[in-house]
Amino acid sequence: MQYVAEQALNALSIGAEYSLLALGLAIVFSVMGLVNFAHGEFLGVGGYIMYAMALFGAGDIWMILPVCLLTVVITAVLLERVAFRPVRRAPATTGLLTAFGVAIILQNVFLMGVSPRPKAVPAVAVLNTTVDIGSFTFTILQFLEAGVTAIAIVLLVVFMRRTKLGLAMRAAAHDFTTVRLMGVRANRVIATAFAISGFLAGLAAIFFIARRGAIDPFMGLLPVLKAFVACVLGGFGSLPGAVVGGLVLGILEVVLIILLPDFLAGLRDAAVFFIIGAILVGRPQGILGKKAELGDKTA
Amino acid sequence: MLEVDNVSVNYGAVRAVHSVSLSVDEGEIVTLLGPNGAGKTSMLSAIIGLVPVAEGTVTFEGQNINRLDTESRVARGITVTPEGRHVFANLTVEENLILGAAIRRDADGVARDLETYLDMFPILRERFKQSGGSLSGGEQQMLAVVRALMSGPKLLMLDEPSLGLAPQIVDQIFKLISGLRDHGLTLLVVEQNAQEALKFADRAYILSSGNLEFAGTAEELRTSADLMKAYIGEGVS
Amino acid sequence: MDSGRPRRRLWHVEGARTLRSVRGATIIAAFAVGIGLLIMLFGEPYQVRLAVAAYINLILVLGLQIFMGNANVANLAHPGFMGLGAYLTSIFAVPLVIKKTLIPNAPFGLGEVQLGVVSSFVAAVSITGIIAALTGLVLVRLSGIAATILTLAILVIIHGVFVHWVDLFRGTQAFYGIPKVAGIETMMIATALVILVARLFKDSRIGVQLRASATNMLAAEAMGVNIRALRLIAWVLGGVVCGIAGALYAYYLGTVNARAFYFHAAFLTLAMHILGGMRSVTGAVVGVALISVAMELIRHLESGPVILGAQLPDLFGLGSLMLGVIIVLVMCLRSDGLMGGLELDEVLDRHWKRWRRGG
Repeated sequence: MQYVAEQALNALSIGAEYSLLALGLAIVFSVMGLVNFAHGEFLGVGGYIMYAMALFGAGDIWMILPVCLLTVVITAVLLERVAFRPVRRAPATTGLLTAFGVAIILQNVFLMGVSPRPKAVPAVAVLNTTVDIGSFTFTILQFLEAGVTAIAIVLLVVFMRRTKLGLAMRAAAHDFTTVRLMGVRANRVIATAFAISGFLAGLAAIFFIARRGAIDPFMGLLPVLKAFVACVLGGFGSLPGAVVGGLVLGILEVVLIILLPDFLAGLRDAAVFFIIGAILVGRPQGILGKKAELGDKTA
Repeated sequence: MLEVDNVSVNYGAVRAVHSVSLSVDEGEIVTLLGPNGAGKTSMLSAIIGLVPVAEGTVTFEGQNINRLDTESRVARGITVTPEGRHVFANLTVEENLILGAAIRRDADGVARDLETYLDMFPILRERFKQSGGSLSGGEQQMLAVVRALMSGPKLLMLDEPSLGLAPQIVDQIFKLISGLRDHGLTLLVVEQNAQEALKFADRAYILSSGNLEFAGTAEELRTSADLMKAYIGEGVS
Repeated sequence: MDSGRPRRRLWHVEGARTLRSVRGATIIAAFAVGIGLLIMLFGEPYQVRLAVAAYINLILVLGLQIFMGNANVANLAHPGFMGLGAYLTSIFAVPLVIKKTLIPNAPFGLGEVQLGVVSSFVAAVSITGIIAALTGLVLVRLSGIAATILTLAILVIIHGVFVHWVDLFRGTQAFYGIPKVAGIETMMIATALVILVARLFKDSRIGVQLRASATNMLAAEAMGVNIRALRLIAWVLGGVVCGIAGALYAYYLGTVNARAFYFHAAFLTLAMHILGGMRSVTGAVVGVALISVAMELIRHLESGPVILGAQLPDLFGLGSLMLGVIIVLVMCLRSDGLMGGLELDEVLDRHWKRWRRGG
């Protein structure tokens, strides 16, 4: 029982992390049809800014967290302005390849600017403090991951339903041109989408680095792949789909950790991708996605 | 109010509109007629700024708006309900209408207008919390028109408001359109359905293959069988 | 459309088209091989080595082009298939004595098998093709971005298998002892052949239909084009060509390591492919040539050279950074690449016509 509860929270917290990343991808995709492969590098941006702050003596966690979030948000908005705006009207593949380029640039900026080797970032390690509730043992981080993600999702839903900009973003997912005919600035809608995706990625960065305790230039690669998979699994561009996909992925990973014998442990990621591939054979449109129809905005 | 002066529009390498001039005065209903592919929608797109003007000028209230983007033109008081309605299917009727008023800062005025229009179009009040996609074609057209009205436009352009609607609904839509003039609105209506459009329009233009073929009063066109035959053809219903 | 015409005429047109493709491929191949010949005759040994690397990359990029350029789906799995070609060739071709120390616990009795150079090549490329077909069955069910993400997943899975199936692939340790039988001559011949295959495929009925349907899959399906079958053919052919690149790689270097078949290779070749222009075979040649030269120049900068008496700092990562910059710039400024979808022979014909008209 105890084991099950611990593993369930574990799955939930890992899944929450993927959901945060996947949501950011899905928001940007739904609004402007861009698959932002560079999304994973937002983790790197968050991680390296934490590292830099600790290096220059600003190691207080209450200072690090907001600065980390803010930096990632600014980076996201800036990238949209510099790299993604010129390809906004181009086919999806052009946008995706641009994003690949941006990802490579950021990775190598980290590499050249700091080091090719992993660096320890103990600043947020505090979050790994364990808590005992009765006979159960959890870390603060696990609660935060599940809780903060839940709050972020609720806030996002409220924003998308209650504000004009949120409505415009939902409408843009359907028909961007008509949103412009309402007088809503396309640039504002897209910048907001990037800012939100950056904010969610910033949260994910904090959790991710708290979990790993270290950063390296290519740290964003695997998480963004998994976030992609979560998106595809849930139905690309669907926000609820991204959350569901993230959670399914988290559960799958934890189950595989438990089930896979030790000598196959290294194949965990491969196994996850394999199972996802199998799911997609049955439902190419994802779990929550609907079948594409002629004239739909497709990826 | 709107002056279109020798405007040409290109779609890629193809010229869709050849040096067309037209004007719409305040309080008028002007209709732009012509067969499919005549360049009517291109004309509207150029006026609202969705496609660039290749040659010529578009003037609104005495100011050249060639270089303004679509959003700024909407802010100045031009708006359009696009062909095929383009209701936001994933948003409720209410949300569609709120988004229609996105550029307005006067919350009281918005609420007042909303009430007025919901009284005018009671079916929308009935469907207020339903998604736009669940509405029938005629209801969607009404929603699209009201959504455009919510921005408080000075000039409302309608692109094929009768497209794909049952004749009964078409009548209803056109009645509503002529009623809008009494609210002090200026209208530019693109139609293939010439007979219907000429019933309520003050003036008419006819486009054919991107060229202006006729400019005059609706009366003139309506009463001259020859003109009708020459420009519209008998088969056009 | 053609149903009214006599069938023979159709064949005639097809024949003329094939001839034109062969002629085009010959011109492109002559260009690609010509550069190699010059380097062979006048270059220094290290330049010849660079040329060989460039040819292997070119074959890989052509494998990429066959699928990505025609089906218009960004693909990242190609280094995985290259890796399969390389590892499988090694497993078959390594002498038994060496194999006993490399993979003593080889499954399927592979520890007792040693094939000749050609048989190993054929076996390895065939198996790569089969694996490509199996993955392709899944892949063609997806379109656009989902398909791209699946190609990423395929790369991760293949790499995972290399690294973790220690009994067969030696994990992260290098595989060595492969007969070094391929030199620059082999590369040039192979490159010319692959250029021919890629160009013929592009101009074939399958290639044309595939490109026509790539922009709108649903519309193509509505018109009765079996797009899945077309894409599967392109995917398998592309995979086989990538496998060939891998096999040649193994026969040239004599040693194979899983690291060479992962994201770095994917991005490098992707940048080459994009720079030249995805939609043309010539684009692959141009992209590979330019980026190979650029990367070599940058490599000098990365190691902190002394320029005008000043010791520059190490700039490790600069090469990759530039790849990223190239990709972003090409996409923003000229997403069709330098060739803009044209082939060398088409460009030459155009100039020739203009020149004749001018004269």
